[in-house]
Amino acid sequence: MTPFAQNHHNSREGTMHWHRRSSIVVGALLAAAACSYAAYGATASSRATINISFMEAMASGTQKPSLDLLTKRFEAQHPNIKVTLIAEPNYGVLQQKEQAAIAAGKPPTIGQAYENWAAGYADAKAIIPLTGYVNSKKMGVTTADRKQIWKGVWQDLFLPDGKIWMWPFNKSDYVMYYNADKLAKAGLQVPKTWVQFATVAKALTKSGNWAWSTDTGTLAAPADGTIVMLAMIHAFGGTWIANGKPTLNTPAAIKALGYLADLKKSGALQIGTNYPGETALGAGRSAFDLSTIAGYPYELAADGGKFSMKVAALPTGRNGEGNAMAGTNIVIFSKASNAERAAAWQYMKFLSEPRQTAYWAEATGYLPVTKTALPIMKRYIATHPYQQIAAHSLDVARGNPPYAWWTVAEGQLATALQAVLDNGGDPAHALAAAQAKAMAAAGG
Amino acid sequence: MTAVDAVVRPQRSSRRRAGRIGIRDGRFALLYLSPALIVFGVFTIGPALFVLYISLFDWNLLNSSLSTFTGLHNYRALGSSADFWHSIVASVYFVGCVVAGSTVFGLGIALLLSSRGLVRRVVRLAVLTPYFTPLVATSIVWVWIFNPQYGLLDSLLRMLHLPMVGWLQSTTWAMPAVIFYTLWHDLGFTVIIFLAGLATVSTDLREAARVDGARYRHEIRDVVLPQLTQTIVFVIVITTIDSLQAFTQIYTMTQGGPLQATTTTGFLLYQESFVFFHTGFGAAIAVVLFAVIALFTLLQLRVSRSRSQ
Repeated sequence: MTPFAQNHHNSREGTMHWHRRSSIVVGALLAAAACSYAAYGATASSRATINISFMEAMASGTQKPSLDLLTKRFEAQHPNIKVTLIAEPNYGVLQQKEQAAIAAGKPPTIGQAYENWAAGYADAKAIIPLTGYVNSKKMGVTTADRKQIWKGVWQDLFLPDGKIWMWPFNKSDYVMYYNADKLAKAGLQVPKTWVQFATVAKALTKSGNWAWSTDTGTLAAPADGTIVMLAMIHAFGGTWIANGKPTLNTPAAIKALGYLADLKKSGALQIGTNYPGETALGAGRSAFDLSTIAGYPYELAADGGKFSMKVAALPTGRNGEGNAMAGTNIVIFSKASNAERAAAWQYMKFLSEPRQTAYWAEATGYLPVTKTALPIMKRYIATHPYQQIAAHSLDVARGNPPYAWWTVAEGQLATALQAVLDNGGDPAHALAAAQAKAMAAAGG
Repeated sequence: MTAVDAVVRPQRSSRRRAGRIGIRDGRFALLYLSPALIVFGVFTIGPALFVLYISLFDWNLLNSSLSTFTGLHNYRALGSSADFWHSIVASVYFVGCVVAGSTVFGLGIALLLSSRGLVRRVVRLAVLTPYFTPLVATSIVWVWIFNPQYGLLDSLLRMLHLPMVGWLQSTTWAMPAVIFYTLWHDLGFTVIIFLAGLATVSTDLREAARVDGARYRHEIRDVVLPQLTQTIVFVIVITTIDSLQAFTQIYTMTQGGPLQATTTTGFLLYQESFVFFHTGFGAAIAVVLFAVIALFTLLQLRVSRSRSQ
């Protein structure tokens, strides 16, 4: 158990104090809930201009102009709402800025957030649940529209309390990039299952070439290799969490890590740092890279037109396709007034609507969050078929489990991968050690 | 008025006047110093005291009102934390090697470069240049040099038909690789300090030793090194403080991995505070690290004082 968790569990006085305060808190929450639900009825339609701010990390490439354009379109439709975009250079900086703003008591109205960030923000009472807005008759989302949101994306909006705390924005998932020329030259088919992947990978490993390079990352910064391992756990029939606790050493996880260890031993898998998959595929040394669809332009730039690079869904296992969702959702910070919250909700909903999410996907390479965007993207998909492949995977993709301790658990999984793939450790032993530390972080 | 009064009164009044001038000067000094004191207080002393305060809490970074006072719990947890003790071992490994390497190689190179000549000036510049390069940029370059698939080092190993080494992926080689980079980057600084120290060594004594038939190694051992003792101590203390604070190269090259092989106490502080947000625990690490560095700083001050005397 980490000292952080111990603090919560060893303090009896703290628990009693909590019980005494809980009745006051429950009363206050009921009152606040009554006020909040009253707010769902209020639209941001009063004549006074409502200013909202959006802290985001969509600052590179086509992301910034695309978000600027969507925001202008929204403002044109809602003349009384003014949206100020606060662009941060990357997610790391975004998280620090959001935390600093929350700690200072001056957060923006809304911000991008990963699931485990949102869990921490909710624990600190820094964000509000969106269930009331989503269910609102006046400004909510219809049941028919809800059903069109990809299953994985919809499940990703909830925290463990069963309430919706986030709304989807920039979503992506993992795909398999491959060198089609290399496979054709070797007379090999594109692997559809993990069993086929191993066979093809080993067949391609000769003369200084190998099949796949990845970066496991570290305890402090898990990378693609660890995320792909998470996808494999689902494909092999395992889980990441159960009953609110990590499950890193299930038989499926041990099997997945054993599979990767076997690939590494055969030389088909190489471990590196600084996007080794992209580099090796681009240099023609490997045949595959398993990475997010949002990285497509970078993969394309790496291959430089030297070969035909194609995209397929991740291979399947006993449980079908497993996939890990990347990208963030949007949260509303609790310091916002009722009018600001209502205006913010309208803006968030606007961004997720078919026309806007389709434009966003075409412009940036992220995926549309709803199936109804695909017909709008028909012409685009004809020339960019990989977008549809990745979009369909959103049905099975899973986001980070919405627990603040997941950062530690994922880091521990990266450590287990390092122990086995770089240092020859035993998969069961390495995962048991990771599970013990992840459980300690989860207060178990 | 007695004779005694006549003597004492002017003395007392001049002392009083001197006292008034002293107080006035003191007030002026304080006034002039106040901008610097305010900046130092707000941005250095204040945050340092706040870290000490946080270390006594299970601190909620996002909502401090949810923080709970836990007294010395974080410090007790440090004592029983395997990760903390592992980081201490890694720090001792890193600091020990960097200090020993900087001192031995720095002194050796300084001795080689201490005489005049164009070639030596060029070499001196070459040794010093890495010190002025940004840590982030050059450590990324070294990540590529250490790359097992495309890196320069492994290409050389392949040419020699030797097995490849995953320098930054191996628990055995990651720390030596980071130490090697740190020495490459920082050696120029210690060489300059030693060159300055060598400039103060008495040439008369060295010549006298040579006239008496001393060989070069005897001249260095018996004449130069005794006069360089304070410089050597200064270099050891300064390099120790710098190494204890090392972070950038570890963050860029290994992120503390593999398997925490390069997680020094400084990196653990970052990981606990800013990755896992165990803020109180991280603050306790910061306080311990501060105490160790303060100890070495005091040592350095004493050495500096004895040098100036």
